[in-house]
Amino acid sequence: MISWNDFIYFALPAVLLWIVGAYMALKGREKTAGGFTIVGLLVFGAFIAMMWCSLERPPLRTMGETRLWYSFFLPLTGLLVYSRWKYKWILSFSTLLAFVFVCINLFNPEIHNKTLMPALQSPWFAPHVIVYMFAYAILGASAVMSVYLLWSKKYHDSHNELAICDNLVYVGVSFMTIGMLMGALWAKEAWGHYWSWDPKETWAAISWFSYLTYLHMRLGFLKKTKASLWLLIISFILLQMCWWGINYLPSAMGSSVHTYNLN
Amino acid sequence: MPLNIAILAIYVFILVTLYALRQRIYFIRWAMSFYAAIPSFVAVVVMTLLMGLIRQVPATVDNGDVLGFSKMLSCWPFVLVYWWAATILGLVSIRSICNFRLKQIPFLCNHLGLFIVLVCGVLGSADMSRITMRAQAGQAEWRAADANGNVHELPLAIELKDFVLEEYPPKLMIINNTTGESISGDNPNQMLVEDSVAVGELDGWKIEVLEVLDMAASMVEADTIKFVEWHSVGATSAVAVQATSPDGSVVRKGWVSCGSFAFPYQSLKLNDEVSLVMPSREPKRFASNVKMYGQSGVQMDTTIEVNKPVEIEGWKVYQYSYDEFKGRWSDVSVFELVADPWLPYVYVGIFMMLLGALFMFIFSDKNVRRAEK
Repeated sequence: MISWNDFIYFALPAVLLWIVGAYMALKGREKTAGGFTIVGLLVFGAFIAMMWCSLERPPLRTMGETRLWYSFFLPLTGLLVYSRWKYKWILSFSTLLAFVFVCINLFNPEIHNKTLMPALQSPWFAPHVIVYMFAYAILGASAVMSVYLLWSKKYHDSHNELAICDNLVYVGVSFMTIGMLMGALWAKEAWGHYWSWDPKETWAAISWFSYLTYLHMRLGFLKKTKASLWLLIISFILLQMCWWGINYLPSAMGSSVHTYNLN
Repeated sequence: MPLNIAILAIYVFILVTLYALRQRIYFIRWAMSFYAAIPSFVAVVVMTLLMGLIRQVPATVDNGDVLGFSKMLSCWPFVLVYWWAATILGLVSIRSICNFRLKQIPFLCNHLGLFIVLVCGVLGSADMSRITMRAQAGQAEWRAADANGNVHELPLAIELKDFVLEEYPPKLMIINNTTGESISGDNPNQMLVEDSVAVGELDGWKIEVLEVLDMAASMVEADTIKFVEWHSVGATSAVAVQATSPDGSVVRKGWVSCGSFAFPYQSLKLNDEVSLVMPSREPKRFASNVKMYGQSGVQMDTTIEVNKPVEIEGWKVYQYSYDEFKGRWSDVSVFELVADPWLPYVYVGIFMMLLGALFMFIFSDKNVRRAEK
C-alpha cells in the first residue's frame, strides 16, 4: 500500500524530469522537452492514482491533497501553452511553481487519513475539485505571464504575450465557471440550496467576477493594457483567498462548510 | 397573481421598453456599452469583497451595525449593485436576441443565463420554504417547523423505520496529560485501527493491537476497567493495546475506548506526561430508512441519506441531523424539507451558463482574435 511516505520517490524524479524538460525547451529542443515533461507527468500521475486506490477515496479532501493536483496540472498547463505558442520559458516557470508546491507537501505534511465525511461522498466531488484545480493552474500561468509583462515593461508592443494571457484566462474562466456551477448543482443535493453565500462561495463569486472584469476590459478597453495586467494579478490574489486564504480569514472561520481538513 | 411573478413581468417589460427607446435615450446606449459594464463589475466585486471580509450574521440578529455590511444580503448598496448588473445583462441579452445570429449563441448563453439565474434566484427566494421535521422511530410524522419555530402541517408524512449511522474504524492518538492536546501539534498523528492493522507506530511509541471490540460494554474489576462484547443499545467501541515507549523501557497494556452516551471513555496512561486515547469515531454514512406517504395517495419505502435527498409532493427531503447525544444509537432522525418552485427556471439559467462556458473554452482562440481586431 502506497502512502505519503512514498511521495518523495515519485515527486523528486518527476521534478527532475520536468527540470530537464524545461531546460530542453530553453535550448529550443521542442520534442525532447515535451517528452521529458510528459514522462514526469506520468510519474507524478501514477502517485496520484495509487494514492486514490490506497485511500479508497479521491485524494481531494485536504489542502495537501489539492496541492498534489495543482503540482500535476501546472506542468500540464505549461506543456499545453508551450506546444501551442512555443513559448520557451513557460515550462521553466510551471516547473518552478510545481516544485514549490511539491516542497510544501514534503516539508509540511498534513494529517492524511482515509476518512471522508458523508457530505463529500458524492459523484460531484471529484469533477468539482479537479476542474477547479485545473482552472487555478491555468490562471496561475496567466498571472505569471502578466507579472513578466509588467516587470519587463513590454506590455505596449507584446501582442503575442497578451494574446497568450487572454487565451489562458478564457480557458481558465470557462473551467472555473464549470467548477462553480457543478458546485451549485452538488450543493442543491447536499445542503438543500444551490447558493448559500457560504464564505467559500462568496470568494468564488468575487474571483469569478474579477476575472470577468479582466475579460471585458480586454474587449472594451484594449489600450488599457497596464490596468488589465494589474487586474489579472489582483484577480489571482483573490483566487488564492478563495482557495486557501479563507482558512485564515477571521470573517470566515467557523462559519464555512467548506473547511474539511480540520479535526 | 403572486407578487414576484408580477415583479418579473414588469421588470422584463421595462427592460424591453428601455431597449426599444435606445435610439432616443443616450443613457440606454451607454448602459449597454463597456463604459457601463466595467464600473458595474468593479462595484459587484467591491461589495462582494466587503461581504467576504466582514463576518455575516442573519438579518434578524441585532448587532448595532449601522451600515448593514454584516447583513449584506439585505444591505441596499449590495442589492442595488447586483440589480444594476442584472439590468445591464438583461439589456444586452435583449439586444442580442433582437439581432440574433447563430454566432450570438455563446454570448446569449453567458449573459442571458446569468440574468435568469440572478433574477429567478432572487425572486424565487420569496417562494422557497425550508423546514425541519423531527421523526421518531416507529411513528409517522407530518408536522415540521420553520426557522421561526412555527409548525406547519404538510401534504406528506414520513414514518422513520430506523436511523443508521455507520462509522469509520476507531483511531488512536497520544495526548498530553495536562493540556489534553495531541503531542504532535495541530495535525495530530493518528493510527487507524483497521482489521488489517495489528501493529503501528505513534509519535515513537510502538502500538500493538491485541483485541478490537466494535460493540462493547465496560466492566469495573478490582483494580482495572475491562471491556466485554455487548450487543445492545449504548454499546461503545474498545481496543485492547500494548504500548512500548520509544526507548523500550516502558510497556503498558490496557483498554482504550471512545465511550458512548451509556459508557464513559477510557484512556491508557502511558507515563506521567502522555496518554493513549481514542477520539470519537468519524461518521461514514448517515441514513434513514423510511416509509413516505403523500396526500395524493403515493406511498414509498426508501432511504434518505446525505447527498441523496428524496422528492415527494414537490418537496425535497434531506437527511439533516439526528440525536447527537446518542450518536449511532439515535432513534430520532431530523429531516430538512425544501420546496423551491422556481428551481427549474434557475436550472435553465445554470445549464445555459454551463453551455456558455463550454463555448468559451472551444472558441477561446476566436475570442482573442476578435479582441485583437
